[in-house]
Amino acid sequence: MGKPTVGIFGLTGCAGDQLVILNCEDQLLDLVALIDIRDFLMASSENRTDCPLDVALVEGAVLTNRDAERLRAIRQRSNLLVALGTCAVWGGVAALDRGADRSQLLEEVYGEAGHGYDSSHAQALREIVRVDLNITGCPIEKEHFLAAIAALLNGDTPVYPSYPVCTECRMQENNCLLMERGLPCCGPVTAAGCGARCPDLRVPCIGCRGPMADANPVSLLEVLEQKGFDRRQAAARLRTFAPEGVA
Amino acid sequence: MLLADEVATHHPVLSDNPYQPHMARIVRIYKMVENNHLFTLRFLEDRLAHSFRHLPGQFIMLSVPGVGEMPISISSSPSRPEVLELCVRRVGRVTNALYRLKTNDVVGVRGPYGNGYPMQEIMGNDILLAAGGLGMAPLRSLLWYALDHRDRFNNITLMYGAKRPEDMLFREELTALVDRTDINCLLTVDADPGGTWKNHVGLLPTLFDHAKIDPLHSYAAVCGPPVVYKFILQRLLDLGFPKNHILMSLERRMKCGVGKCGHCSIGYKYTCLQGPIFTYWDAINLPEMI
Amino acid sequence: MKILKLPKEKLDLFASVVQQFGELHAPVEQDGKFVFRRLTRWSDARLEYDRTLLPPKKYFLPPRETMFRYRPGEGFLPNTEGLDQRLILFGVHACDVYALNILDRVFAGKFPDPYYQARRKNIGIIGIDCTPDKHCFCRSMRADFVDHGFDLFFYDTGDYYQVLVGTALGDDMVLATGSVFEPEEAADIDDYKRRSWNKRRSFQLDVEIRDLPEIFEMEYQSEIWDDLGGRCLSCGSCSMVCPTCYCYDVVDDVELGSRGGNRTRAWDSCLFANHALVASGENFRGPRASRIKFRFYHKQRGFVAEYGRPSCVGCGRCITACPVSIDVVQVIDRLRRVQDVASR
Repeated sequence: MGKPTVGIFGLTGCAGDQLVILNCEDQLLDLVALIDIRDFLMASSENRTDCPLDVALVEGAVLTNRDAERLRAIRQRSNLLVALGTCAVWGGVAALDRGADRSQLLEEVYGEAGHGYDSSHAQALREIVRVDLNITGCPIEKEHFLAAIAALLNGDTPVYPSYPVCTECRMQENNCLLMERGLPCCGPVTAAGCGARCPDLRVPCIGCRGPMADANPVSLLEVLEQKGFDRRQAAARLRTFAPEGVA
Repeated sequence: MLLADEVATHHPVLSDNPYQPHMARIVRIYKMVENNHLFTLRFLEDRLAHSFRHLPGQFIMLSVPGVGEMPISISSSPSRPEVLELCVRRVGRVTNALYRLKTNDVVGVRGPYGNGYPMQEIMGNDILLAAGGLGMAPLRSLLWYALDHRDRFNNITLMYGAKRPEDMLFREELTALVDRTDINCLLTVDADPGGTWKNHVGLLPTLFDHAKIDPLHSYAAVCGPPVVYKFILQRLLDLGFPKNHILMSLERRMKCGVGKCGHCSIGYKYTCLQGPIFTYWDAINLPEMI
Repeated sequence: MKILKLPKEKLDLFASVVQQFGELHAPVEQDGKFVFRRLTRWSDARLEYDRTLLPPKKYFLPPRETMFRYRPGEGFLPNTEGLDQRLILFGVHACDVYALNILDRVFAGKFPDPYYQARRKNIGIIGIDCTPDKHCFCRSMRADFVDHGFDLFFYDTGDYYQVLVGTALGDDMVLATGSVFEPEEAADIDDYKRRSWNKRRSFQLDVEIRDLPEIFEMEYQSEIWDDLGGRCLSCGSCSMVCPTCYCYDVVDDVELGSRGGNRTRAWDSCLFANHALVASGENFRGPRASRIKFRFYHKQRGFVAEYGRPSCVGCGRCITACPVSIDVVQVIDRLRRVQDVASR
């Protein structure tokens, strides 16, 4: 059996997740020995843009018709499609205000020329195509990417934490920024997996990994309000990386 | 990291570790029903294959290396040792991985765990086994145990219903029991579109019309989806079965099988220690039981 | 029990001697809170502290622990790393010792957990008396005094520590320090009693735990649980900081390019949505309210049925760690009040 063929793609996003893959310096040689990366524009100038793929890893959100078309084409040629990063999984920062009037925004930013642009509100990949695996994070964790490849090579899917950042933060015995310092920490509703990186450095969680499956943002909002935060601003903070962050 | 060969062998983690899976070979995979295969396992170590003893109704923790571990009830009877038969429904990550394995691949096994059916109590009485759909898997161990020790039990009745003939677990061996005189083997299907089924057609509870039951001297072992419990339990109660003579096999999430990890607790009990066989009386007295 | 006394000025000497019995860990300050940590110097130790963020549980059942390494062809190889390391925890409060005594029962039984047992054997415990703060209710939970589970236990009686010797190891520590430990006199007993009396009076919380099983039995359908379920964030903080929460999850992983990997266990919580979820998709405790109810029932009711007492020791950590102020003392009080039909 040949090596599985893999494509790595970016839609609208910062390419940070693709960079994480390239930063797996200690594992890159192992990786290319195990998988056949056929299409990875960011890393290679020789790409096969039409061959079938066993796995497509797609970063970024869908913000244009062109993004949507590319995504559908990728889906078509791939057996498994993996959403890479918070933008692909949740819409990300670009989905901050999906209700906004798009044409008005375009005009504000680009003036008259804005009307001609191909632009729509940000969507997560799963809103356009079927997604087989979500690897969230802004950017993704290197370990999660490697675990995904290791598991997929065995025909399996990786298991990521389904609990919130608080759990990891407590395991690390950090002081609680929300309770002890009254900081607007999104840890209680944000998917863990980062090792509570920010609270560990005494920076409150901004929710960059998107909500955990079982989040209770309404209750967190009440807490934040009691601590003197404006409810609308607090809600916007919880929604920064995922439009569904606050129900 | 220190590994087994680098530390003294008397270390309890090495010598007496209840979490230690023992490797077993898949000697046979029999596709009984779509996504319900029967896996026959034999420990690599002959000593273990000879010495492994279980009770009907007990379970093992099955490891698919690199994927995970899960509880699986033992479908083979202790009266037929040397191998373990596991009827595994393909339903999640670990079972999916198991289904990717082939004959001669190895898996991990530890156990047996759980209470099993109260055989001492049941002996000398009638047994009624009532299963619907996939519920036959844990009951099959009890069935063959009773048939292999036929003199220790009075009347044995099996009532088993599936949707169609091709959905019936252990179909060949069970249909072969229909003609035996030492068991009243009643098999039914909800429908028989192929027209090849030679047994009963109709819902499971209709089999009660063909069974002779003496509720005060019987134990009933019931297993199946919730709808089976709903109808069968009511019929048994109507017949006058004492609630502590109705035995149920429960399924819970388990990570250890030995009363530590906390996942299988129901109310105040651990399914892995005090179960998975509970009486109906336990069931109605424990919160979240069914 | 053997009781001695140690002049306070000799504590430094004792601490330096005791290090020969294991790596010394004690509470140290961390941004105004306390954590058990390896001491780099004795002066970092803070023996007068309220409570550590995590209980000593972390030493016996670590947040994450590799149980086995899997290698194709070799099977599951138990990981023994760190199990034989000798540590001394200096300054463990009575409630936390009590909690370990409870965990001892969970991790013993028909299937003793060898990882826990090995650590329990190799980690020495020197207890220290404490002053209750506004969240402490160990006295209500009968966990303000322990008669076993430690090697030595220190009581501050002013100029002296009175020292209970709990084990042969504790006795060896005393002997190794030499004559600085003095025999106890009658007046010292009076000091101890006075100190004990004062401590008992300084509790600000009192939870009546009599009748708890009965109350919980009657309030299974109470709307209190729905209210708590609405507030609970399922963040797991209470479980992580609880000295007697022992639930764990087990995860296997594979290493890149191999079929080998590790089997790791990590702290889990019954408040997580998947705690009782089975592969077929059925969840026996789906709603948040049923999960938080389970947590209370298991601690305050289920444990009584199984072990004869609640598993809660009244350390107050869950109260200080809950972002939405779910307070076990208030919950028990509320349940008791709705029970009290007669006074309505």
